[in-house]
Amino acid sequence: MYYIGVDIGGTFTDCVLVDRSGHHRAAKTLSTKHDPALGVLTGLERLAEAEGIDLPTLLRRTSRFGHGTTIGTNAVLERAGARVGLVATAGHGDALSIMRGSGRVAGRPIEDVFAVHGSRLPAPIVVRGAVLEVHERIDASGAVVVALDAARAVEDIKRLIAEHRLDSIAIALLWSFVNSDHEKALAEALAIAAPDIFVSSSVLVSPRLGEYERTVATVMNGYVGPACSRYLGGLAERLGESGLSEPLLVMQSNGGVLPAEAAATTWLGTVDSGPAGGLTGVASLARAFGHDRVVATDMGGTSFDIGLVVDGKPVMADDNVIDQYTYRIPRLAVKTIACGGGTLARFDEATGGLRVGPRSAGSEPGPACYGGGGTEPTVTDADVVLGFLRPEAFLDGRMPLDRDAATHAMARLAKQLGLSVEETASGILEINNMRAATAIRQQTLERGHDPRDYVLYAYGGAGPVHAFGYAAESGVREVVIPLGNGASTLSAYGIASGDVVLYKQLERSLLAPFEGARADALAMAVAEVETTARADLAAAGFGSDDVVIEVDALMRFREQLMHSLEIPVPLPADPDTGARLLDGFDTEYVRRYGVGGTALFQAVEVFAFRARASVAAGIPTPQAEARDAMPAQRTDVYWPGWGWTPTDVHRGSPHSTVPGPALIELAHTTIAVPPGASLSTGSRNELRLRLASPKES
Amino acid sequence: MTETVSAPAPEGSEPSAETPTVVWDGIARGYVPTEPLPVPASVRLHTTAVDDVDPVTFEVVRYSLMNINLEHGQTLQRLCVSPVTMITRDFQPSILTADADVVFLGPYLQYFSNAQSLTIKWILENRAEDPGIAPGDMYVSNDPFVGTPHQPDTIVAAPVFIGDEIFCWVSNVLHHSDVGGSVMGSFCVDATDMFLDPPAFPPFKLVDQGRIRPDIEQMFLRQSRVPRNVHMDLRAAISANLVAAEKITALLKRYGADTVKAVMNRVLDSGEKTVAERLARIPDGTWSHRMYAEAAHTGDNATYVYRMTVRKEGEHLYVDNRGTDSQTGSINVTYAGFVGAFLSALTASLASDLAGAYGGVYRRVHFDLVPGTLSCADFPAAVSPSGIYTMETLISLAGTVIGQMLACAEPEIARLAIGPAHPAFYAMISGGTTADGTPFIATNANNMIGSLAASPAEDGVDFGGHFWIPEGTASNVEELELLWPMLYLYRRAMPGGADGAGRHRGGRGFLEAAIPWGAPGLAAAVYVDESFPKVVGARGANPGSVGHFRLKHGSDVHRSFEAGKIPQDFDTISGTQAAIEAKGPALMVAEDAVWEWTGANATGFGDPLTREPERVAVDVAAGSLPAEAAERVYGVVLTGTGTTDVAADSAATDVRRRDLLAARLAAASAPGLVRTAPADARLHLLGGELALAEFNGARHFVSVTGRAVLGPVTGNYKDGCAVLERPVRDLAPEYATHKARAGYAVRHREYLCPVTGLRIETEILRDGDEPLHDIALAPTKES
Repeated sequence: MYYIGVDIGGTFTDCVLVDRSGHHRAAKTLSTKHDPALGVLTGLERLAEAEGIDLPTLLRRTSRFGHGTTIGTNAVLERAGARVGLVATAGHGDALSIMRGSGRVAGRPIEDVFAVHGSRLPAPIVVRGAVLEVHERIDASGAVVVALDAARAVEDIKRLIAEHRLDSIAIALLWSFVNSDHEKALAEALAIAAPDIFVSSSVLVSPRLGEYERTVATVMNGYVGPACSRYLGGLAERLGESGLSEPLLVMQSNGGVLPAEAAATTWLGTVDSGPAGGLTGVASLARAFGHDRVVATDMGGTSFDIGLVVDGKPVMADDNVIDQYTYRIPRLAVKTIACGGGTLARFDEATGGLRVGPRSAGSEPGPACYGGGGTEPTVTDADVVLGFLRPEAFLDGRMPLDRDAATHAMARLAKQLGLSVEETASGILEINNMRAATAIRQQTLERGHDPRDYVLYAYGGAGPVHAFGYAAESGVREVVIPLGNGASTLSAYGIASGDVVLYKQLERSLLAPFEGARADALAMAVAEVETTARADLAAAGFGSDDVVIEVDALMRFREQLMHSLEIPVPLPADPDTGARLLDGFDTEYVRRYGVGGTALFQAVEVFAFRARASVAAGIPTPQAEARDAMPAQRTDVYWPGWGWTPTDVHRGSPHSTVPGPALIELAHTTIAVPPGASLSTGSRNELRLRLASPKES
Repeated sequence: MTETVSAPAPEGSEPSAETPTVVWDGIARGYVPTEPLPVPASVRLHTTAVDDVDPVTFEVVRYSLMNINLEHGQTLQRLCVSPVTMITRDFQPSILTADADVVFLGPYLQYFSNAQSLTIKWILENRAEDPGIAPGDMYVSNDPFVGTPHQPDTIVAAPVFIGDEIFCWVSNVLHHSDVGGSVMGSFCVDATDMFLDPPAFPPFKLVDQGRIRPDIEQMFLRQSRVPRNVHMDLRAAISANLVAAEKITALLKRYGADTVKAVMNRVLDSGEKTVAERLARIPDGTWSHRMYAEAAHTGDNATYVYRMTVRKEGEHLYVDNRGTDSQTGSINVTYAGFVGAFLSALTASLASDLAGAYGGVYRRVHFDLVPGTLSCADFPAAVSPSGIYTMETLISLAGTVIGQMLACAEPEIARLAIGPAHPAFYAMISGGTTADGTPFIATNANNMIGSLAASPAEDGVDFGGHFWIPEGTASNVEELELLWPMLYLYRRAMPGGADGAGRHRGGRGFLEAAIPWGAPGLAAAVYVDESFPKVVGARGANPGSVGHFRLKHGSDVHRSFEAGKIPQDFDTISGTQAAIEAKGPALMVAEDAVWEWTGANATGFGDPLTREPERVAVDVAAGSLPAEAAERVYGVVLTGTGTTDVAADSAATDVRRRDLLAARLAAASAPGLVRTAPADARLHLLGGELALAEFNGARHFVSVTGRAVLGPVTGNYKDGCAVLERPVRDLAPEYATHKARAGYAVRHREYLCPVTGLRIETEILRDGDEPLHDIALAPTKES
């Protein structure tokens, strides 16, 4: 029986297969944008071939097939989504375009936030003019203020659909998450009256306080929905025809997978699911390795993604920003900064300093050493100049790099700075590492954790070569390159290993102390969110005893609207649950903000609950692979703080512990082992880098 | 007669009208620190720095400092409870040098730029000996004469020590929901002096070597109507300072104090160098503008003037407020307010790429203010409402003056102009008790939705916020209804119209209406209702919106609900409309009452009759402009009726616009003999229809399309224009007002090209005020 994970990226489609005993195999094929399924099938055929079987046999033997897609993300970024119209409460149809007045700056890098010049609102998602306001109203308590005339509203919506040639309708009414009667009645009536229209309802997509963010979520869902349905429906059909009998599981940004049919209510969950795959893979491996606290770092060509695993679970976030639109949906917290191999370095004339980022050379022209016409030095050029990347060995020799071009680019900058070429290149890495480490520290310290208590996992093309630097800078001592060369397809592995997950949210304001009637209300709310999560997962085809339910209470001091702490709710809820939640809240608050920050004079409230219903994937743990011993070569590498030093180069994962300085060249990445550090291959194919003396963080 | 731009008095000279005994001490008059700062010997400042820091270490330390300050802001945002703080971002963290020059400012409220610097300098001068400044101390102040714009904005400042020397300061200022005074929310529009304003506390030591003094904390909280909220926010300010100070201490340990100090110095020096280089690309000259306020306090109906003049000489700016009315009522600010307003507009336009490292920029700006005035008031002037009135007026005024100056610069610098801000922070503060008897104060800061003015190059941004508070965010309606007993009938985009029209139009604002809900009623304590537009459109654009607050008693809203309708048009709601005054008293709002208030459409750039007709049609199709306004405001004749088939009829539009221009000239007073510039004279464009041309050995102002000579650059180009003057209320129905209101007598003057009739510039002016001489340049390029 096989586990298969497929991850479609901008350039490559990665397919990963894990067999019953944990052996792992990967195929990288070029993505086929016009028909993404084509690239998927090519990759799968390669896997089958490597296993010595044909595709139908492979698929028949597959017990879990997970798939991560960028269809939704691309639809938003390229504005290639559905013709969606919005139905809103009378008087509030403009909330989406008003964007709370911060649409101009939302999600933009800090350097851009100060500048008015050139900053604009993003292009609209809804078809211009296709907003219908319905006379209905519910208040904050859920009471009906103005009743809905559903029949009349549906007639108006049908006219809106015809006038604007819509194929998708988003319904987002005020306070629907407190009382969903109006929204449900409209959605149901519309499903009958206009069965071909893709209908999104805000209470299903994002049942949370805040009409702007809820409307964005609903409209985005309606915008990406039809394209996702078409693509995944088509793929499921083709895979079925080729022999797959299990359901196609779709990767969500919350780190879980769902059968395509169940995912269809909230296709929005697939948007920005890319980074979730890698983090899910890390969480799954971290459990196998017994690592409780992990900082997962994915450094690619333009960006650096950071996620955390705490107590074996990936840390969750509440909201997301895509193209300056903010929405709320439970998702893995992945912080992205512009800090990768293609990040550009420049001389800052005003200060005389060396600036690295946030601009990137991207894939075109790319770093100077790619020979694509880039002339400004990048982080990757610094790697080449210092000898970390050997031009002839890059990507297994399939893409030789131009060392001269990198040196030329570096020399120009070095002259401006009054430094040598090596000092300049080494400085670029130091600054890049510091930027990465700052982001890591922000993520851990924000949660009141010391980064020194974490193990750092490094993957992505540029992660393993820089990990020694940014790990040391953030105070981490132990670095893991998961799955060895499989680090470059970790996302696909994560998709294969992802649990089936369904989240339910319940916004419910409950004020401490939780005694008497309040304790009852708390227990009832917990039971409600738990029951609906279980029922929805059963409806998706997972009703067995294997279902695990976890509930978090989102808490804060009353009126602290911008703040939220997740406190796990011990299940089943009982009369003492409230007291335990308050203890948990106090402990967490003090840990994050110190004793001085607590405010005993202010009441604590639970304002929402989040239930996670899941069925574990149960992917077998990775097994050691047989490796060929290859004699080490020698090269010169300029190690920061050491200068040019003769350095052993190993091709492939080493058999025994390798002392630094050394380079380990794998098919898709290189691992740098600095002087004083050592690297060994673990029992599950992972490479473990142990750093010598951590710097003060 | 023409009011002329006068050169400010030499630095250091005392204005003649003042008695010599009053000094800029932060007690009788706004505090102005002397250079060098006289710090008592009881406190030692760390001053040593290494000579050179390599470019890599420099960047590492710079980036770390910047991030420490950003994280400081994020901590504040998470821990505060007042919506006005946590959502609006009405706060600002800073890192300052040992002697309190700003090194880093965050992307929050920008007019707090100098508040912390002034306050800490005052602390160093006046508190260093007794009670002293020790490690672990924190000082608190909300005294506008020392440094804050108004009393709710409270500063908490913490010294960071290295050994027994102060290495630097971390500090924050944040707006508290209520700090006392005669009006809920502490914007005391009825105050006639500071004794009716909220208490102003000069700097006091709240945290004594790490220990919060409970007696003093309670004293500070006692003044507030919502002490619990203020307590939470005050503790947040202390915690956030603590976290930032710890991070700086760690940085000093790692890189050494002298290295970090060298980096701070270089950040300051490089900011100064950047702005100096940009100033060098602007010709020497003087630019001036004025704006008006109505009603100095509750019950008043007069109009008051603020004036701001900037003289640019070499690589320095000299700013004064001559021509501003004497201090009166509650519409004043102190020295700190004026400076903060000017600097926020300057950095946003000229140096936003420094991303908050603005201390060096400030070194190039010199203020020479006339004390005892509305914009530089002496004790005991009331200042508490300045957060919604005078500060915005001064930021707007600065935006216009700076825009005028940049228009004369090289094109690359001219492009940095961002136009004026709103003249007020349209807001509403109400209060009462909820159904369960809990008192509440509702500070509705939805005007964070904002709108940006047009620039010389493009339209303004609809709902684009405010440039002086980049990260500011408005609340969701659901958040407001959750916190306070109200129900919002609508919150929607304001229609486009005459207000904000221009060749490039201003961004659109919002309007909203609500009723009490779940409470027997409430009181509207603060609201903004204007009777005339305050902001002049740049280069011939129309004025911006007139902000309105409307209230109806005995409405039929509840009956409409029963009939299945949510009223969407205030005019069609039945009830008795209340008479509203500018800065009026608290208004009782019963259960059956309904109110509506508006933000504003920002101002445009250039004559509306020069807007590309297609863009007018696009606005109509998008619902941003009512179809009737296309011809009325822009002279654009449309074809088609639906949103999908609207288009501009270019031939008919040409005819219509020709007629409109001819009608303007026919109604205007002509300037006498009109000469045109020689055909071979090259124009240096100053934006819109205004340009410079050099011929006959001198530079002249000329119009662009008509090439009319308007006069020498040393003179007032307005003298060469045709002038069309009328009450501003007659300009368009959008500016209408009641004859009992101050705006009824306010005039609008258009300076037209005498050849084409196109607008070159416009003015809004108090009846009887003289035309403004707003640009004066050197007679030749070289001089």
